[in-house]
Amino acid sequence: MKTAATKTKVLTANRLTDGIAVWLGANGEWTTSLKEAFLARHDDAVAAIESAGQQALDDNRVVDVNVIEVEETEAGPRPFRLRERIRSDGPTIDYAPAFTAGVSHAA
Amino acid sequence: MYRYDEFDHAFVAARVNQFRDQVERRLSGEISEDAFKPLRLMNGVYLQLHAYMLRVAVPYGTLNSRQMRKLAHIARTYDRGYGHFTTRQNIQYNWPKLSDMPEILEELAEVEMHAIQTSGNCIRNVTADHFAGAAADEVADPRPYAEILRQWSSVHPEFSFLPRKFKIAVTAAERDRAAIQTHDIGLQLKKNDKGELGFAVWIGGGQGRTPILAKKVRDFLPEADLLSYVTAIMRVYNLHGRRDNKYKARIKILVHETGVEKLTTEIEAEWAHLKDGELKLPEADIAAINAYFEPPKLGDRAEGWGELAAWKRSDPGFADWVGRNVAPHQHPDYGMVTISLKPIGGIPGDATAEQMDAVARLAEDYSHDEIRVTHEQNLVLPHVALADLEPLYRALLVEGLATANAGLITDIIACPGLDYCALANARSIPVAQEISNRFGDPARQAEIGDLKIKISGCINACGHHHVGHIGILGVEKKGAELYQISLGGSADENASIGQITGRGFGPDQITDAIETIVDTYLTERISSEETFIACYRRIGAEPFKAALYASEAEAA
Amino acid sequence: MTVIWTQDGIVENDPWAQPGSDSGSKLLPLAEALEHARDNAAFGVVLQPADDVRALAPILDRVAIIALTFPAFSDGRAFSQAMLLRERLGYQGEMRAVGTVLLDQVPLMLRTGFDSFEVAHAPTIKRLAEKRLPGIDLHYQPAADETHAGPGYSWRRTAMLNG
Repeated sequence: MKTAATKTKVLTANRLTDGIAVWLGANGEWTTSLKEAFLARHDDAVAAIESAGQQALDDNRVVDVNVIEVEETEAGPRPFRLRERIRSDGPTIDYAPAFTAGVSHAA
Repeated sequence: MYRYDEFDHAFVAARVNQFRDQVERRLSGEISEDAFKPLRLMNGVYLQLHAYMLRVAVPYGTLNSRQMRKLAHIARTYDRGYGHFTTRQNIQYNWPKLSDMPEILEELAEVEMHAIQTSGNCIRNVTADHFAGAAADEVADPRPYAEILRQWSSVHPEFSFLPRKFKIAVTAAERDRAAIQTHDIGLQLKKNDKGELGFAVWIGGGQGRTPILAKKVRDFLPEADLLSYVTAIMRVYNLHGRRDNKYKARIKILVHETGVEKLTTEIEAEWAHLKDGELKLPEADIAAINAYFEPPKLGDRAEGWGELAAWKRSDPGFADWVGRNVAPHQHPDYGMVTISLKPIGGIPGDATAEQMDAVARLAEDYSHDEIRVTHEQNLVLPHVALADLEPLYRALLVEGLATANAGLITDIIACPGLDYCALANARSIPVAQEISNRFGDPARQAEIGDLKIKISGCINACGHHHVGHIGILGVEKKGAELYQISLGGSADENASIGQITGRGFGPDQITDAIETIVDTYLTERISSEETFIACYRRIGAEPFKAALYASEAEAA
Repeated sequence: MTVIWTQDGIVENDPWAQPGSDSGSKLLPLAEALEHARDNAAFGVVLQPADDVRALAPILDRVAIIALTFPAFSDGRAFSQAMLLRERLGYQGEMRAVGTVLLDQVPLMLRTGFDSFEVAHAPTIKRLAEKRLPGIDLHYQPAADETHAGPGYSWRRTAMLNG
């Protein structure tokens, strides 16, 4: 018996204190890197991250909690939606020359 | 410009403390996000894709150098070294922490600034003609009335939970640079036959999902009745505006569904009870607020005329810049200088902290300490002697702020779009950048002439696409970005809503499509005197559609 | 638990039990109130946001309490209803905010003429009981509360501070 096949999902949110985009990691901590996100590959795992998200919301650690779909690639998980790719990689434009010097962007 | 008195200082300080208390309750978990959201929005704090965003009010777009330096300081200290000037004459910071907000607001209060009502379903920052107080064509300075409205609307107990946001704009010239017909209330300051000041009152303009131009409900409202009449409008709207559907909640829908005559009757009936009450403005108060806006003492600088001519002959770049970015001032020896925040290929409306500091310094040196923010996302130095234009231009060149494109095809309005905004469906900035690069050649821009392109990344229309000569609306279709084009919009005294051309274009096609439209205009225009919008109004949409969708027509 | 709060503190044994409570509501909807006004006993009314408060004008001197409803924090119609009752109709009796009553709205409600509040949120009750209202004592506009004329301009007011 296996649970129904689903697209791989990850849990994302924004941290309450500074609003920075975060993803739920395998160790249960929130991480600022999508690469370190826990990949939920079946329904039980999705239910588990949803429940973790609700708990974090109730605990006022994060806001705007969402489960999103990703494609597993060699470079790491890649969200299907452009919106989520931009949340993960940052603005697609060279937006703050002084701040971003030396930081590369994924388009 | 207006200066805070003790009352204003104490009020803003109290508001900062109130917000500090709200933030503390949120961070401690005493209140949930659902309860906090309306509180943070009422003070300009959004949650965007990457972080919180803080929108700081620049009332009627007027700043002094001290305030601009503070904006630069905040960008450096609490953000990533830059800010974004918006279509409502405000500035947005894209990366501040929630926990830093009270401190930022405290810093702003030091220079008589705040973020009060820059979001939320309340009366928003009151905007005005960015050339107010300097323009050769104005009847009087409209900003004193904007200031009176700003004060009256601040933490208004009755009108803080309206059906939807509420925007008021004020102008005082026949030539409308404040887009009053796209506002919930538009006020045009004018004089009657007796030479008394009053307002033509327009209501029910708005963009968003259902763009509607405002209707005139009063041709002349005496200035003393400003607050009582606006209160009557607000009360009728607060009681009767729709609350069942947020897309139908703006006053424009109430006007549309009720009918302007019936609604005007209701407003007038409400006003009859209010007009002789405590909201009537005493002449002395109007005069006292007006006194703050006395124009600076501008000495004659007639030497500028000769110098200007010589400089223009010797430097074509300077001549272009003067031609595009300097407008006539009330004083013939002076000009109003538009500082373009639209460098070729740049991000419309963004300025770095260094640029803000530079503008502050130049305002002190050359513009009697005054700066304006325009709804077209540029800055203005309103009082520059013609004799100072050349050194000012040199200084702006060094800062990357001397782009000679005011009103041209690369002077594009664009919202932050999907690169930042949680509401967006598509990106706006990269589209603006590509168009800017495509048409960046100065000679080509000059040949095309006046042309306003406005880009929004979603139907909320912060990028004013409905009133762009060419409007671009980003949508999401099957997970991909798609851009719809509309033509023939305008936000001036001859306001109009643009018409959609047809199917949209992908990100890799949209710039070509814009080029097709521009080429069609260049072919169709009678002469270079006929602007894009004049040409469009003469020939209509068909020639443009035929050119845009030519290949489809052939295939069919 | 829901409590009734006024600026004098939490009200024990409030005679106008709130709708849905064990003792049943004594507050009448608008239509019933207009009907009931033919009797002589004092009565209370609960209005919904779409009700026209001006309908109460003929019977207002018989009304002991008017409750105005906030179905959600975002529905601010009752602020205007309150202003009309106090300023236009001259209603002097008790005016109660019921429904979603948030701490941060209470100062605005006080300004528009409310004087009692039905509150359910525990931290809010605590703050109110401690009289720690998150309001601002300086106002840029007249409203229905008693204030001093503010300094500077005709539209300004300052709060009457009690004690």
